Amino acid sequence: MFAYVVRRVLATIPVMALVALFVFSLLYIAPGDPAAVIAGDQATPQDVERIRASLGLDRPYLVRFGAWVWGILNGDMGTSIFTNLPVTTMIAQRIEPTLSLMVLTLILAVSIAVPMGVLAAWKQGTLIDRAVMGFAVLGFSVPVFVVGYLLAYVFALELDWLPVQGYTAFSNGFFPWLENLILPSVALGGVYIALIARITRATMLEVLQQDYIRTARAKGAGQSSILFLHALKNAAVPIVTVIGIGIALLIGGAVVTESVFAIPGLGRLTVDAILRRDYPVIQGVVLLFSFVYVLVNLLIDLAYTLFDPRIRY
Amino acid sequence: MALLEVENLQTHFRTPDGVNRAVDGVSFHVNAGETVAIVGESGCGKSVTSMSILRLIPEPPGKIAGAIRFEGRDLLKLSDREMRDIRGNEISMIFQEPMTSLNPVLTVGRQIGETLRLHQGLSRQQAEEKAVEMLTLVGIPEPRRRVREYPHQLSGGMRQRVMIAIALACNPKLLIADEPTTALDVTIQAQILELMRDLKHRVGAAIVLITHDLGVVAEVAERVIVMYAGKKVEEAAVGPLFNNPKHPYTQGLLGSMPKLGSSLHGDETRLAEIPGLVPSLKAKIPGCVFASRCPHATDLCRQVAPALEEKAPGHVAACHYATKEGAIAA
Repeated sequence: MFAYVVRRVLATIPVMALVALFVFSLLYIAPGDPAAVIAGDQATPQDVERIRASLGLDRPYLVRFGAWVWGILNGDMGTSIFTNLPVTTMIAQRIEPTLSLMVLTLILAVSIAVPMGVLAAWKQGTLIDRAVMGFAVLGFSVPVFVVGYLLAYVFALELDWLPVQGYTAFSNGFFPWLENLILPSVALGGVYIALIARITRATMLEVLQQDYIRTARAKGAGQSSILFLHALKNAAVPIVTVIGIGIALLIGGAVVTESVFAIPGLGRLTVDAILRRDYPVIQGVVLLFSFVYVLVNLLIDLAYTLFDPRIRY
Repeated sequence: MALLEVENLQTHFRTPDGVNRAVDGVSFHVNAGETVAIVGESGCGKSVTSMSILRLIPEPPGKIAGAIRFEGRDLLKLSDREMRDIRGNEISMIFQEPMTSLNPVLTVGRQIGETLRLHQGLSRQQAEEKAVEMLTLVGIPEPRRRVREYPHQLSGGMRQRVMIAIALACNPKLLIADEPTTALDVTIQAQILELMRDLKHRVGAAIVLITHDLGVVAEVAERVIVMYAGKKVEEAAVGPLFNNPKHPYTQGLLGSMPKLGSSLHGDETRLAEIPGLVPSLKAKIPGCVFASRCPHATDLCRQVAPALEEKAPGHVAACHYATKEGAIAA
């Protein structure tokens, strides 16, 4: 087990290296010159050239990549060319809203989607099942920003139950924090709920056909024990896998959601950085997201052993 | 009063192309402490009969009608809650597939303990103690270690022993064993049968043994019910049934069994077989259900269904031509 963890952690290194190379190269070949953006409309070609040299952008590709990687290894992700703040500082300032949004969405989605999927599988073919599946299709097909604006319109503008937009730090109290995050989480969670509910239903349907479910019934076990202990534990591995894969959806969705609800998080930071060609920030944020994704999936692989004793590392 | 009385049991399944009458009007009884075997070939309705007793048939598409009286109470009239109290407690069941009948993600101890916690309100710790006891009883070595193991760490024979431990944990009055030895090696089969016989005496439970293996029947059963195409065609004590089968189907079943010491040369090298296939259970058969495969069938058989008649004391068969003296003249 320990050896497996070490091996998996080591295996993330090449993955991260590849991501780093990819992110760096993408910005290198992307059109738009950061120096020209900084210099502004009135700048002469000499000004642009001077700025370019001061940013080190005139150096060869590999040298720049090497310098960037070396910096990261030393805990330095570079400095924003727009704010002149270290990228690490900027990320630290923006990480709380995004983390809050993602964690809340994750909890919300799992606690809604899993029971929904279980219920649909149990009541297969009934109205409940069809309603769940219908919702799943809807969740997949309606984009986050549509749901977001719709929710904001109904629950914030019309009913005035929740704030329209913005973010309140957790340090200002749990409820103000929660109040601001409910609508964004629901909007962001739609696709995620649909995905998890579908896979839960499909896996549960398969598990409920198994002989050991019949054994549990023959023992006199109640319906909820059959569904949530005997069946769900057997269905857990695929469900947990999808939850992990879905983290990617959350990351992508967070960028949009933060824009819709004006949440000052990493998503907004990314969008702003892209618009300003603030490449150190873009690189830093993307690398961070990749790292989180790889880490989450490692944790999920390890979680398999909790659910299925046949899996040993 | 019999422990279990099944009266005119009808278990039908609605399918897209008609109703499948898996069990069609079967009646029998089981006395306390008795071992009754239900035999017949695949698809004759014997498993469905056994599952119907515990109401383990999914409804819909299944539908159980008739009466199943256990100690005088009609199980078909009980609420789900009351039925759960009976399952695994007063009536328990062992299944055919020991490899898949245990939950792969729960420890053996937890699975035995679950019954005890459900029906006897034991704490987790007491249940585990009792589980160790049960494992010892069913002859599993090192029960303290095994109780914390998962099914995949046990062999098929051991898993079936665990199933028996689960079934007997609450001292049931009736044990339904659906082909308990079919999936096991021959040597293990004998051990499991021996174990069941031994435990039956200790616990005093009646057993309904579902099987297609007549060797097993001869070994453990006291009374035998022969089923064909969802109907009971013959019933007798095990001796008379084997020595003097009345129904042509039973005769065919016995004739298709290889006999030890029979000659490999000469005329009797071929095992007798029953020609044809079990008829579809979706169409109502007007006459005798076995007529299409019976060597003695007449127009009467094809038109009028024979009633179950007592052909000898305690020996009933549903055949127009079975005589009181013995097999029909062949």
